[in-house]
Parts: sequence; C-alpha cells; structure tokens
Amino acid sequence: MKRRLRPGLAAIIMFACILGNRALEADPVLHVLVQLPMLGLCGALLAPRREWRWAQGGFAPLLAALFGIAFWMLPRSIDGAVSFPVMTLAKFLSVPLIGALLVIGWRQAHALLRGFLKAQAISMAGFMAFLFTHSPVRLCNNYLIDDQWRLGHGFLFLAIGLAMAWTIPLLTNARPRPSPRTRAKPITPVQSGVSA
Amino acid sequence: MMDNNSAQRLPGPQAGAVKFTMLLAGVVLLLMMVFGFVMRAAQGNLIDLDPAMFYQLLTAHGAGMVGTAGLTGAAILWYFMGRYVPLARGVFWAFLGLFLLGVVLILGAIFIGGYGGAWTFLFPLPANSGGVWGTDAAAAFLLGYVAIGVAFLLLYLEVGRKLIACYGGIGGALAWPLVMGKGTAEDAPPPAVVAAMATTIFNTIGTVVGAAVLASSLVNLYFPEFKVDALLAKNMIYFFGHVFINASIYMAVIAVYEIIPEYTGTPWKTSRVFAVAWSLVLLFVMAVYPHHLLQDTVMPAWSLAMGQIVSYLSGIPLLAVTAFSLIVYLRKANAMRWDLASALLVLGVAGWSVGSVPAIIDGMISVNKVMHNTQWVPGHFHIYLILGEVAMAFGFMMWLIGKPEHKAVGGFNWAAFSAYVLGGTGFTLMFLVSGALSVPRRWAVHAPEWVLQSQIATGFALLVIVGAAMFVLRYLLGLKHSAGR
Repeated sequence: MKRRLRPGLAAIIMFACILGNRALEADPVLHVLVQLPMLGLCGALLAPRREWRWAQGGFAPLLAALFGIAFWMLPRSIDGAVSFPVMTLAKFLSVPLIGALLVIGWRQAHALLRGFLKAQAISMAGFMAFLFTHSPVRLCNNYLIDDQWRLGHGFLFLAIGLAMAWTIPLLTNARPRPSPRTRAKPITPVQSGVSA
Repeated sequence: MMDNNSAQRLPGPQAGAVKFTMLLAGVVLLLMMVFGFVMRAAQGNLIDLDPAMFYQLLTAHGAGMVGTAGLTGAAILWYFMGRYVPLARGVFWAFLGLFLLGVVLILGAIFIGGYGGAWTFLFPLPANSGGVWGTDAAAAFLLGYVAIGVAFLLLYLEVGRKLIACYGGIGGALAWPLVMGKGTAEDAPPPAVVAAMATTIFNTIGTVVGAAVLASSLVNLYFPEFKVDALLAKNMIYFFGHVFINASIYMAVIAVYEIIPEYTGTPWKTSRVFAVAWSLVLLFVMAVYPHHLLQDTVMPAWSLAMGQIVSYLSGIPLLAVTAFSLIVYLRKANAMRWDLASALLVLGVAGWSVGSVPAIIDGMISVNKVMHNTQWVPGHFHIYLILGEVAMAFGFMMWLIGKPEHKAVGGFNWAAFSAYVLGGTGFTLMFLVSGALSVPRRWAVHAPEWVLQSQIATGFALLVIVGAAMFVLRYLLGLKHSAGR
C-alpha cells in the first residue's frame, strides 16, 4: 500500500471504531475480535518506518506490546472498557499504540523471534478459547454466558485460521532444489535405500 | 538457496554441545534403568519397596525415559542438520537449559512432592491424588512438561525454518517433487533432511496438543470448576504421548542414515519410495493413536476402527524407512565395516522393526480387549526403546568418540554389546511372556504366580544395566581421550 494512503486509511478505521463503538461493544465477538484488532491496525498503519536504536532486535517494543495485549486479554479489562469512560478512552489510546509497537518490533525482530511470536499467538488464542468456553461462570458483567461461549468459539476459529494462514504457504512452494550442502566425501553414486 | 561456496561457510555440527548432551543423556538412561531394575526386583519380591515409592519410581522412569529418548533424538537431529543448514547455536543451549529446568521440576515434584500419577498425567488424576501428593507437586510436574515442550518447540522452530528456507518449503524438504515425478534423486534432499522435516512437523503438532492439555490441567488444578472433557483430554494426552515417543525414534534413525554410509563407502540417497514412505509416516504417526483407546467404549466406533486399520497400515511405511530401507541399502553397498557404533545402529533398526510386531498385534480390537492392560504393552515399548531408540543413541555416542579409528567389535566392546543385547532381549521377552499370561502392568505388588517372571526379568535387567554402564564408561573414556588429542 502507498505510504501516503496510510494515515487516511487509519483515520477512516479510527472514526469507524469510534462511531460504531456502541454497536461493536454490544457484542463481545465484535468487541474483542473485530474492534480491538482494527484499533491495532490503525496504530500499525501510522507506525514510523524507520529503525530505532531502542528497538534493536525488536525486544523492547514487542515486550511492551505483549504486556499491552496481555492487559486487554483480561475479561476484567474488556468489561471495564464497556462500563467506564476512562477505560474506553484507554482502549482507544493504548490499542493503536500496541499496534504501532508490534510493527516497529516486528520489523527489527529476528526470524526466530517472529516464529516464536506466531506460535505464541496461536497458542494464546487457543487458550482464550478454552477459558471462555469452559468457564462455569460469566467472566464479564456486561456479557451473557452465551456471548462468552461465542467469543470462545471465535478465539478457536482465530487460532485455526492463524495456524492455516501461516502454515499453508509453507506447503505450496515445493520445488526441486539441489542440496545446499554436499557431503565432504561423496562416494560412488549408487542409488540406495528403497529403490524406486 | 545456497550454492556450494556459501555452503562452505556453514558452521557445521555443534559437536561440543551435542557431546555434552549425550553424556547427560547416557547417565540419565543408566539411572532410569536402575529405577526399572528396582521396580522389577520389587515385583519379584526380591526387595521390599513401599507401593507409594514404586509409583513415584514408575512416574520418574516413564517421564525420564520418554524425555531422555526425546533428548537424544533431538541431539542427533540437531547434530546432523548442522551438516546441511546453518543453525543458530544459541537455540540448542536454550533448548538444553529449558529441558534441564523441566527435569528439575519433574524430579522435585516426584521425590519432594511425592507425585506418582505416571508420566501420562491422565486427567483428572493429577488433581485427585487422594492425599498422596499435593496440588503444588502436580503443578510442578505439569510445569516441568511445559518447560520441556517449549524447549522442543524452540528447537523445531529453528530446524523447521532453516529446512523450509533451504529446501524450497516443507514439500521440498520432504522430497515431494521426487514423489510427484518432477525431480530426480540427485536433486532430492538427503534422507536425514526428509526425516528431520517430517519429525519436525508431527512432533510440533503433537507437542502443541500436549501443551494445550497441560495448560488446561494446570488451570483445573487450582480452579477445579474449570473442567476439561475427560475423553477429549485423554485423546489429547495419548495423541501427544504417542507422537512424542515415536518422534524420538524417528529422530534417532537420522544417525543411521548419516553414519552407516561412513562404514560402507556408499552414499545413502533419497529414493521415490523412501520419500513416499516418510510422507505416509508423517500422516500415520498422527492418525494411529486411537489404538491406545480401544478399551474406551465411549469413543466413536469409526475412530476405533481407524485405530485398528491404521495400526496395520502404519507398519508398512515404518518398515520401509527402517529395516527394508537398510537391507536394500546394505545389499547395494560395497562392504560393511563393523564396530560398536555400527553394530548398535543396526541393532537399533532391527529392534525398532521387531518391536512394531507386538504393537500391531495389540492394535487388534479383539486382542486389545484382553491384552492392553497386561505386560504385553510394556514388552512392545521396551523393545522399541532398549533395542531400538536407546541402541541408536548409544551407537551415535560411540561414533562421536570413535570417529578417527573405528575399532572392531571385540574384547570390552563385544562384552558390552553382548550383555546389552542378551539382557535387552531376555528382559523384553519376559514382559511379552508375562503379558501373554495376563500379568497386569503398573501393579506395585504381584501375585505369587507372577513372581518368577519378575525375578527372571530382574536378572536380565541387571545385564542391560551392565551393558549400558560399559557403553557410558566407554563414552566417558572416549571423550577424555578425544579431548586430549
């Protein structure tokens, strides 16, 4: 996407989230799995595209973002965002910041760390699914138990969707390539093992 | 893709870390064998052992053997993948650190906290000890597994991403172009890479499922109102357990693919059938686990039928990638030089192949109904381990220290090998005989009619320990010798 379009798109998403706040908050699936990611996307679109020294390796911004995500994973925080204007304001300010930090950190993160975070995202979505579908009590005052179960199933679909989105591309690019490293002492070229 | 010039810059196998890991593993294997010896001696009324302590030893033995088999398999995989792709060395140390943290937690849970719920941590047993162990002990045990699971996921993440990057995706590393007739055997990845990619995939999936049920069990420990469906939890646990222990053997066979060619002078290449067999192994290892649940009549009938059918079918690709593959390879090879390492590696393949037979028999529903809770099943998995995975691990250790001069099997080596094979064969046969006589498994106290079998097995266990101790001693001396060179 062209860089100059990013602020405009972020503004549109932000306004949509603010204007539709009532409707989105009314349903926990829309609130948690649509509005919060959209707010995060706003921050991601606005994140400056430069390498920061404090963000070397991506550790500092990613750690800060993970703490932020952990806070908004708590049912108590979601409940607060519906009940208290201060928490609503905190949501609209902090979640875009989390999105920006994720992008800044992601750009500078080692591939191994990125893979770890992907695995963490899938497992956390799975764990939230377990939490919301197995809890014997309502975890949020503002949402009914049926809503809670729907949210749990939403997290389950999210976990499955992320797993598929990240693994299917790895399966589809199979093509013959020579071995990247030949043996030090290749011997007689005899086809061995189970013959074709 | 790397060309040959960049390939020369690869750091190569992480030999020091792997040697250290195999030393730790050798000592732990020996300790676990001593635990097994003590349990068989107690069942044979040769020693007095408090039943509570028996179940603690059973738990430590099960968790320790499965964990150490996984550790040795992972070390073998890491070592040989270092020949083909540049692996981040810190990952292996992180893996080992997390693994050891897990070991400390598990040992503390068992021998300080008194946890004795078996390595399978079957839900809701960890939370229902009847006062034998506390919640914290069960939690420490489960957290130990979590630490080990994270260690494996980290290792697989690094191996997987490097293989995917260097061999053209998962399909490329599994030699799918060759399978589909689009490539040649010359372009196909080596057998070790195919094996590493397949085990990375199925053991990652298995470990993730295990982590999910571990996390749920941990929540249940402290908040009992959060209940997991017990049948779902059992399915998840057995899926994880079956996949994990099988992965340890499938990782260890990489040592056979890589080391045996040094003894024959003939490269071991990936053929089309070999690649197809590994792709089938990848599917069957995950699909076959319901054969552990054939006695759970509440399971859907189709899944139990699948467990039986896949049990039959899974033997075919298994034998294709092990015994059949090795025999065909050796027939084409110029000559085979025998020393302790090559003998143990070939023994490992033979033991693995033979050990699959009792499993296939137990996979029949009509047999399973009367045999599954007898010592027949320990007979199967002890063949898999003593004469299969552990033999391959010891073979790898002997190769690590004996690389410059392959010593012929004679004298000390011959005595160690003979004691190990004779002891292992006798010990596992006694399990099978006891199983056929309907002696139950996992019982601390045995009826008088079952005592003789346990006593005979104790003698064979001692032989196994003597053989294994000689291997570990040989390895220690070899390390010292190689350090001085």
